[in-house]
Amino acid sequence: MKQHLGRQSGVQRVNVSLLDGKVDITPKEDGHIDPIQLLKATYDSGVSTAELDLTARGKIVKDASGSLALEVAPNQSFTLEPNELSKQMEALAGSATEVTLRGQLYKKPAGKKKPELPKELKLLILEIQKKE
Amino acid sequence: MTINRAALTLVLLGTLVVAPVAKAQVKHIEMRVEGMT
Repeated sequence: MKQHLGRQSGVQRVNVSLLDGKVDITPKEDGHIDPIQLLKATYDSGVSTAELDLTARGKIVKDASGSLALEVAPNQSFTLEPNELSKQMEALAGSATEVTLRGQLYKKPAGKKKPELPKELKLLILEIQKKE
Repeated sequence: MTINRAALTLVLLGTLVVAPVAKAQVKHIEMRVEGMT
């Protein structure tokens, strides 16, 4: 699995902890990393992902459907799952303020051993780390 | 002198535009997996 993940575009380093089933992925500086591709690579290596958390920095924008999203690159953004913390982001939509957020992008549905992978991931904000 | 000032302005503008975009990025990903041997 480590090799599968290490081959994905934008991945600089992969650390796997066999003991607690944790996988730490360090993206390349300014590299484009696609979490869906990481989920697919993990799936293809015969392991199922229980949860995927991400820390990212970017701007808050409104996407085509009017939902809030974190834009981390001109061609990459993550739609925000509405919660109390995402409400705090509403005022920043369209502004130049950059935020660093930690959030959950994927959680395996309960009761399914090997569920189908989602086509779109939404970011559930767990922590607002920085606004500047 | 005028050219130098224009060039300097362009460089400063470029820095202002490029710097925030370059900083925005995915910084870290953590996964919890099951079925690993």
